[in-house]
Amino acid sequence: MQNTNSFSFVTANAKMADVLSHHNHLINLLPRLGIPLGFGEKTVGMVCEENQVSLPLMLLVFNVYVRPDFVPDGDDLRQCPIEEIVDYLKASHKDYLEYSFPHIENHLRGVVQDWNVKYRTSITMFFEEYKKEVENHFKYEEKNVFPFVRNLLLHTATAKEASKVWQFEKQHSNIEDKLRDFTSLLVKYVPEDVSQRERINMLNNIFSLSDDIEKHAIIEEKILLPYIKILMDDEKL
Amino acid sequence: MKNYKIAIADPSPIILTGMSVIIKELADYDVVLKTNDVQTLAARLHVVNPDILIMNPVLMDWSKRMMVRHVFEDMPNMKIIALSSAFFDAQQLKQYHGVIEITDDAHRIKSTLNMVMESAGNSEDETDSAQLSDREKEVLVCMAKGKKNSEIADELSISVHTVITHRKNIVKKTGIKSVAALTVYAILNNLIDEKDII
Repeated sequence: MQNTNSFSFVTANAKMADVLSHHNHLINLLPRLGIPLGFGEKTVGMVCEENQVSLPLMLLVFNVYVRPDFVPDGDDLRQCPIEEIVDYLKASHKDYLEYSFPHIENHLRGVVQDWNVKYRTSITMFFEEYKKEVENHFKYEEKNVFPFVRNLLLHTATAKEASKVWQFEKQHSNIEDKLRDFTSLLVKYVPEDVSQRERINMLNNIFSLSDDIEKHAIIEEKILLPYIKILMDDEKL
Repeated sequence: MKNYKIAIADPSPIILTGMSVIIKELADYDVVLKTNDVQTLAARLHVVNPDILIMNPVLMDWSKRMMVRHVFEDMPNMKIIALSSAFFDAQQLKQYHGVIEITDDAHRIKSTLNMVMESAGNSEDETDSAQLSDREKEVLVCMAKGKKNSEIADELSISVHTVITHRKNIVKKTGIKSVAALTVYAILNNLIDEKDII
């Protein structure tokens, strides 16, 4: 159990509590997967079965978060039904919009309240715009990408719909850059004596969101898109 | 070891030739251009793209002597050394990355060149990195106002290529990539009023 290597790849037989204590950030994924805390000695496989969560999905997502180089290939992908991946991504979008962003926004409101007008308005405005951009990006995916997957499964997808699917990838780097820029502004350019403690708290939240969104983008770019390509080949699209 | 390219500009053919002979004997440095008039210098500089320009300050117009780096801002990575044949006031020589006196011997010239090139790598420019040049600030302000590269080029009377170089340097110096965040940077640093951009 002390051997961290045994957890560098999450398997069905690992104890859930051990996995989480080695990879703390996975805790944030539980609500999206619909898994409550309180695992006792149960294994990952048992927890999935009990909560009717797909084991292949959970292993896929966990391992993307745990292993920097983890990219499953075609056969591995087919182990996990694509509609489960789409459902997970939808749940993540909801989680970001309903939890992560409002949480940071609340923090931000507290942080900027003592700042002068210039800092307050420009930083708040930047975050608002960033949030709007992310929302639009999510909407785009939910309107163009996810329904396309559904149509693929129903064998009714068209080549015209497909063209819109490949456009969303570019927006990812934009979104990641902006969040990083936001931390740069807060770390480097807002004078240090201004609400230091609160700012550090908020930065912690943003850093963890930033890591999370990076992994989220990997799931979309390295898993969902290649998976869609495989299904398109099946459909001869 | 890399060979650095050097351009020399001085009104005196004797000094030009002498300087170029001394430099050619030094390892690590090649003379790629020598000229005694400003027009040739202006025309050829971009083509030969030297690492160092050794120039007699008398070649500069009086009006431009205090803004030497500004004159060569299109080539931000080029180091400029003053080739001093007469008395120039200290303020003026401060504009240059280094100074070579015509009375310097080969050994001294070499150490000046080495010093200038060494500072290029780790450098005053790096430690200075948070400081944007005046021109970069102007470009940044235009970006914040939502202007396109071609519009910025027109407004500042520089080429689009130069605008892009400035933009790259701004991103490098600030560590900020998005225009939205650069706009906030401009506001925080009082380069622009937030009312200007809404």
